[in-house]
Amino acid sequence: MSDHLKLHDENDERITAGLRKLYAAPEGDAYWRSLEAQVLSRLTEPPTVAWWDELDHWMRPALVAAAVLLLATGVAMVRSYQAEQELAYEDMLTPTALPVETAVRPVLQGREGTFRYLMTKPPVNRTR
Amino acid sequence: MTAAIAFEHQGALLMMSDAAKRATERDHVIAAQQGSETAFAELVRLHQRRAYAVARAIVLSHEDAEDAVQDGFLHAYRALDRFRSDQPFGAWLNRIVANAALDLVRRRKVRDADELPETFALPFRDPGEADELRTRLSEAVMHLTERQRSVIVLHDVEGFTHGEIGSMLGIPEGTARSDLHHARAALRRLLTDFRSNS
Repeated sequence: MSDHLKLHDENDERITAGLRKLYAAPEGDAYWRSLEAQVLSRLTEPPTVAWWDELDHWMRPALVAAAVLLLATGVAMVRSYQAEQELAYEDMLTPTALPVETAVRPVLQGREGTFRYLMTKPPVNRTR
Repeated sequence: MTAAIAFEHQGALLMMSDAAKRATERDHVIAAQQGSETAFAELVRLHQRRAYAVARAIVLSHEDAEDAVQDGFLHAYRALDRFRSDQPFGAWLNRIVANAALDLVRRRKVRDADELPETFALPFRDPGEADELRTRLSEAVMHLTERQRSVIVLHDVEGFTHGEIGSMLGIPEGTARSDLHHARAALRRLLTDFRSNS
């Protein structure tokens, strides 16, 4: 048996009838004329904007602005990174002009010259 | 005098065939879209009872239902230029009223978040009139979720289909069907002793 049929046994009919009473609309034409008049009187009211509606109104432009800002920041960061990379690459490829230093042989004085000559002279093969 | 004429006109509308009613309603909608307040008043007169029933199924009190009906009609009036007159006006209006009622429930929830009632408020207009079943039923109904309550009232009391209810509450038809099943089961369970005693 379906739930629909189960609900509509004698007791369930009473529940549905109870719900109907519970949620019954007001009776009498006077009430509906009054409600109609209230509805129509509100049509001429200028639309009032509550603060949350105002916030809601600004939500979309704010989101768009935030997205644009985020995008611009992202693009700027990517460009800066790329520029750094390019610079580093160029630095790597460009030969560095190192300063040329000319070595100046010091002028050796008397005894020091003899000493250095003796020290650098290959040893004499004495076995012959 | 004007009201009397209007009600005579409404009586005449009740006797018309469905096709003639739809045609008349469409004429009213087109006239209202062109700025005729009289035509919109006619639409209010034709649909306010159904709109009240929709709102009443969603909110907790008669007063809130009235507010939701007024808000709904106001929103519909302001959005009238976006309504395509080849569609049923009633279904469109009911969706707007249901949204206004759901919005009211959300605002009430925020406002009353810090003021949980010790006992559930009876949704009767006149609590003195409540008999035992009504009292028990009103308490049992408060144990349902908001959506289950709306679905069972819209279906079992107002006779809307699952599809119409789904469209009004912004839920799939299957969810409306399932909510109805659970709402009925919950009411049966909550009223078991009452049913067995009676």
